[in-house]
Amino acid sequence: MFKNYLKIAWRNLLKNKGYTIINVGGLALGMAVTLIIGLWIQDELTYNSYFKNKDSIAQVFQSQTFNGETGTGPAIPRPLEKALRDGYSDNFKHLIMCSWTNDHYLKYGDKSISRPGNYMQQAGPELFGLNIIKGEKDGLREINSIMLSQSTADALFGSEDPIGKTVTVSNEHKLNVSAVYSDIPVNNSFNDTEFIIPWEKYLAVNEWIKNAEDSWGNNSFQMFVELADNTTIEQVTDRIKNVKKDLNEDTAQFNPQIFLFPMKDWYLRSSFENGKQEGGRIKYVWLFGIIGAFVLLLACINFMNLSTARSEKRGKEVGIRKSIGSQRGQLIYQFLSESFIVVLFAFIVAILLVLLSLNGFNDLSRKEIVFPWGNGLFWGASLIFILFTALLAGSYPALYLSSFKPVDVLKGTFKTGKYAGLPRKILVVVQFTVSVAFIIGTVIVMQQINFAKNRPVGYDKEGLIQIPTFSQDFNGKYDLMRTEFIGSGAVVEMSTSSSPTTRIWSNRGGFVWDGKPEGFQEDLAWTEVSPEYAKSLNLKIVEGRDFSRDFASDSLGILINETAKKYLGMENPIGQFLRDDDEEDPNPPLKIIGVVQDMITQSPYEPVKQGVYVYDRHDNASYYNMRLNPNESATQNITTIENVFKEHFPDIPFEYDFIDGEYGEKFASEERIGTLSGVFTALAILISCLGLFGLTSFVAEQRKKEIGVRKVLGASIFNVWNMLSKDFLKLVVISCFIAVPIAYFIMNGWLQEYPYRIILKWWIFALAMMGAMLVTIATVSFQAIKAARANPVKSLRTE
Amino acid sequence: MLLQLRNIFKWVQQGGQRVFLLKDINLEVQEGEFISIMGPSGSGKSTLLNVIGMLDTFDEGEYDFLSESVHTLKEKYRSNLYKEYIGFVFQSYHLLDDLTVEENLEMPLLYKNIKGSERKALVADMLDRFNIVGKKDLFPAQLSGGQQQLVGVARALIGKPKLILADEPTGNLNSQQSEEIMQLFKKLNEEEGVTIIQVTHSEKNAEYGSRIINLLDGRKI
Repeated sequence: MFKNYLKIAWRNLLKNKGYTIINVGGLALGMAVTLIIGLWIQDELTYNSYFKNKDSIAQVFQSQTFNGETGTGPAIPRPLEKALRDGYSDNFKHLIMCSWTNDHYLKYGDKSISRPGNYMQQAGPELFGLNIIKGEKDGLREINSIMLSQSTADALFGSEDPIGKTVTVSNEHKLNVSAVYSDIPVNNSFNDTEFIIPWEKYLAVNEWIKNAEDSWGNNSFQMFVELADNTTIEQVTDRIKNVKKDLNEDTAQFNPQIFLFPMKDWYLRSSFENGKQEGGRIKYVWLFGIIGAFVLLLACINFMNLSTARSEKRGKEVGIRKSIGSQRGQLIYQFLSESFIVVLFAFIVAILLVLLSLNGFNDLSRKEIVFPWGNGLFWGASLIFILFTALLAGSYPALYLSSFKPVDVLKGTFKTGKYAGLPRKILVVVQFTVSVAFIIGTVIVMQQINFAKNRPVGYDKEGLIQIPTFSQDFNGKYDLMRTEFIGSGAVVEMSTSSSPTTRIWSNRGGFVWDGKPEGFQEDLAWTEVSPEYAKSLNLKIVEGRDFSRDFASDSLGILINETAKKYLGMENPIGQFLRDDDEEDPNPPLKIIGVVQDMITQSPYEPVKQGVYVYDRHDNASYYNMRLNPNESATQNITTIENVFKEHFPDIPFEYDFIDGEYGEKFASEERIGTLSGVFTALAILISCLGLFGLTSFVAEQRKKEIGVRKVLGASIFNVWNMLSKDFLKLVVISCFIAVPIAYFIMNGWLQEYPYRIILKWWIFALAMMGAMLVTIATVSFQAIKAARANPVKSLRTE
Repeated sequence: MLLQLRNIFKWVQQGGQRVFLLKDINLEVQEGEFISIMGPSGSGKSTLLNVIGMLDTFDEGEYDFLSESVHTLKEKYRSNLYKEYIGFVFQSYHLLDDLTVEENLEMPLLYKNIKGSERKALVADMLDRFNIVGKKDLFPAQLSGGQQQLVGVARALIGKPKLILADEPTGNLNSQQSEEIMQLFKKLNEEEGVTIIQVTHSEKNAEYGSRIINLLDGRKI
């Protein structure tokens, strides 16, 4: 019996090729989108699953409250380590201190590369369960050792055995390779960790870190723990939350709360709002999950609509089968198995589409998703997915078609009643509601991104590059290098800074100034710069003056930005002082000599943070900032700079970034979301239109006789077109009026997350509605005009 | 007795009034009869045939088929009953366009859950008997009207029914094809004892039957 159904289904597909292409194509497209989104979600949800102990690993986080605003982050002070080891050690299997992941120069022989890596305490590799390929398991035992990732080892040593060889780090520390570990996969928080050096080395080579041993106020370190077997994250958090507050009086005023942040939340739920965990990327997982479900729904609606639209043709078959003795259950079974076959067929096409588009999608989404051929779970899930889709798409036609009375359909008197088209109309309305909402959402996301992109950054980011200067080799050489670079003709002005132009790396408080309100806990972005900073960035001085090498006293001068002027409450800031509030051993007071324009260093969606620019007295900056010669090509300039660089720092790899590119990174996440939702919206509309196209062609055929009669009576092509299009246009208009409030509500909520945001204008909605209507008219017209132009004699003769 | 209709009424509501399609029909059919139902358009011929074939329901009266009272049976049992004992032949043949002649013949057997080998044998017999072996792989659209109706009759017969209901079986055929089909019916009735009830407009075709029932406005006259 099943074979018989198969045969009928297959021949049906072949016979109605246009219908098959629309139906299978639409469904395949919908499934491909859902599959890709499914793979993306799977990838997001399995982030960090590389670590076997991921359920018991946590990072130690801290919340502190300044002026009533609670900030939360992973930065903790060094004394916390001792406090936890002394008082709470039985809560942890392992506890390690860890540095931030920073770029370092690694050199072996004449090969020199720059790679990011961490300093960690000895138990680190075991805590994370790194896969040691070569060398010692306990690779951080010796202070002068280094563990390398496989790709780093390959880059440095090629085919040589790296174990025991000496690598020079930052051009000064000679470390022996103790182990090589497998590369940590892309969807992992430690993906960037290309090497690991013992924590003890970190202390040994950095005076300030050694000195931070008892400094509760210096929150500059990370700590990771693996829980002991008999305890939970909540229990331990409860025990340790007040440890800093209890042990240190000075910082107690900020109400420091220590807690464990479980690894499973690191990636997807890492947003904190006033000390409370508030979602994060998980919202995008939900967003795309919903989009995927909707796109599949749209495709299923097509399937249902087209199947029922064709029901009059199949009606005869139902009648014959019933009169021969088929029972309703058997017919339902038949139509469901047909639906299953079509869905299966569509699934195969969908897999092909996924395979074809996976590379492009990976580029778009910055993922490395591979098709899970060997994954039984995937195929199991796919089977359920197919059955579910077949059921969803096939159930309505199955139930509807099988309910026909044989006498009615066989006698030819069968007429779908006045309301028989109603479910179909409702489905079309649902489809277009979703599509219009998608259009509106995408337009608003794009607008918001463009709005933030067009926001003035405060400086001139074109033709500006930065070169990292992380090694000691650069110390004290700034004046020389400035002369050399400018002398080469490639650079018109350059400066140094302690953090990149597009970031804030350091924040400070603990100052006193005239008119400071009682109990005010200030928090200032802190950047140390060379005197040419404003000049090289084309940063405008709005009050006072820039740094000048002519005034020796400027070495204790600072520039503040406009926001800081307001923040500090200074009417006339020029000449005022920021004094250190440490009474025993104060740093010298800093004199404000100028106010600079606000520049965006953090999120382009947020207000600019209050900041100060301090004269760098130690010539110990992290970046060179260079304004390229506008009269030469950028490539020419870069080549010249590289030559000068190599002459002075032959052992250091030459690296540079264009600032506008770095700045563009700030939009990457939103842009990705925007592009992806744009693509999915386009597909959703395409699927809806396919459905509409198919539906119009059936309606046109259904009303062929009516059209013929009308034409004989004198209707023009326009009359007929108008008659056929109007019905569909009506449905789309209804959809618009449902979609607009829904989209407004959702998108307005989304925008609230951005302090710097667009105002929703009515024309966005009008535009989306117009667009939907135009697309509808275009889709419907093709069939409508074709039907209207048909020779009426032919259509009337068939009866 | 094969079937008996007692005081069958069937009506539809139209504008608050009952319009009778069948009015007080009483009919007894013995096995082996060949009955022709005649009457003008709209007299209820097809309705009566459909009621007998259990494809349509009635509103009042009693209907016994092989001493089962049809009016009390549930839909499912009713369809079991007619799939077992009744074969239908339609004016416009109603073959399934997507199936070949052979597959069309096989279909009733599928619904009767007959085994594959037996199905093959029965279909082969039928093809042979109707002289259409050469056409078994053709689709209905590739056959002439008369040939299609031949297949239609073969399909109605393949389940070995006691009763064949034919609704204007020759309505779409030319006179020569009509003749052939009617001869076939006569032969089936006489030689194999199949009971036949046909609806027809043609006096000539009605002559083939052993009894004529005339209907007018839903009433037997």
